[in-house]
Amino acid sequence: MFDTALTSTDLIFLAKGAGMTLLVTAISVVIGTILGIIFGVIRYQIGPIWAAPLTFVLDICRSIPLLIQLVLLNAFFGMVVGLRWPGLTVACIVLSLYTSAYCAEIVRGGIEAVPATTRRAARSLGMTWGQDMRQIVLPLATRVALPSWIGLALGVMKDSALVYVVQVTELLKSTQILITRLQEPLFLLLICGAFYFIISYPLARFGGYLEKRWSND
Amino acid sequence: MKLTYLAAGLFAAAAVAGPVKADKLDDIIASGTLRCAVVLDFPPMGSRDENNNPVGFDVDYCNDLATALGVKAEIVETPFPERIPALMSGRVDVGVASTSDTLERAKTIGVTIPYYAFENSVTVNDKTDITTWEGMKGKTVGATAGTYEAIWLEGQVKEWGEGEFRPYQTQADVFLALSQGQLDATVSTTEVANANVKGGKFPGIKIVDKAPMVPDYVSLFTMRQEYGLINYMNLFINQQVRTGRYAELYKKWIGEGEPANLTVQGVYR
Repeated sequence: MFDTALTSTDLIFLAKGAGMTLLVTAISVVIGTILGIIFGVIRYQIGPIWAAPLTFVLDICRSIPLLIQLVLLNAFFGMVVGLRWPGLTVACIVLSLYTSAYCAEIVRGGIEAVPATTRRAARSLGMTWGQDMRQIVLPLATRVALPSWIGLALGVMKDSALVYVVQVTELLKSTQILITRLQEPLFLLLICGAFYFIISYPLARFGGYLEKRWSND
Repeated sequence: MKLTYLAAGLFAAAAVAGPVKADKLDDIIASGTLRCAVVLDFPPMGSRDENNNPVGFDVDYCNDLATALGVKAEIVETPFPERIPALMSGRVDVGVASTSDTLERAKTIGVTIPYYAFENSVTVNDKTDITTWEGMKGKTVGATAGTYEAIWLEGQVKEWGEGEFRPYQTQADVFLALSQGQLDATVSTTEVANANVKGGKFPGIKIVDKAPMVPDYVSLFTMRQEYGLINYMNLFINQQVRTGRYAELYKKWIGEGEPANLTVQGVYR
């Protein structure tokens, strides 16, 4: 009844693409989050005027389409700097910066959500700035920021489909290669969608679980 | 006074020229990889095998070029409209992508001498006695309506003043009609003709001759100013033909018969 030219080799090929999507996403989200926390704290701490240059750079990362950032940075490294970095490196750099720009906003929002009175109480108890940040702000801000952060991580996973322009064969590119060869676009896109669901769903559920757990105590 | 000006001018020129920079040919050899733009949805020149690895005439050609340079080949898949942007944005070093050497393109990129030419062949039904393209005179011929070869064939039939031309909607219709004997002969690109003869879907047909139409010459390309690399590739193409590798690749990917002549009668280049 249902006939397809898809073989198990092709499924492994798709799984490899999914692995590449996961790898790019994992690297970018980890580095992007660390950078985002640093940028977010700096922006909150030094005030809007001194943070203007940083804000400007982060705004650039947020407003230029990812596809264009990838092509331009790849061309910049290749032609101006003269470095021939593998596509994966360029992809991770661009996606990390992109993630960090969004994450910085989430972190800033999280910190601002902690009531000023609570923080002042901490400082008047003799806590240092570091203690205040770690023991008062961190637990409270994380709870506020977590849902947006999960949304960001899921978004980056799907945005990582654009890294095909720097010769990284991730899930969507693998699917397109198979579509060109087998001419079964709808069926292959269905499988591709299923793969994205399989790798996104656990993260979404894990976020939901943490949210529930943290809101009860 | 004049001499001072001259000296100053030379000095300024030398200062502007700066140190001699390595060109692309050196860069490729130094980096150890040759990145080729190849179109992979254009069989038999470029496609993917059942393990999704790139294969085809252009893929082999890129590998040969890399071997000649003593580097590793990297096939960068580029759809037709992206071949030149990929070169301009530094994603590839050269294009081995069945690119016609038009004068318009040569304003942007540097093209080599032709490395392949798409010719048109005459395919006939086994039962006819046609052996050359002139043999189509007075016969029933057909082609896919609106294509370059159909316009040429219709013009020929008019010129001969005998025989009949029948247009068809698709290439498959033409070969079906030919196989069933409704047509005596057709003209199509050699690659299509070979694929249909080899494919086995249309029994009782064979390729007999080439049609005397201007072939579509295709070239390798790289950045316009990279003369060193263009010179190298020109010599490489010459060597491919000289050593018989061109004929070997033709036999492997396109089929039996004489590969297209890459020279043009009566002119240099």
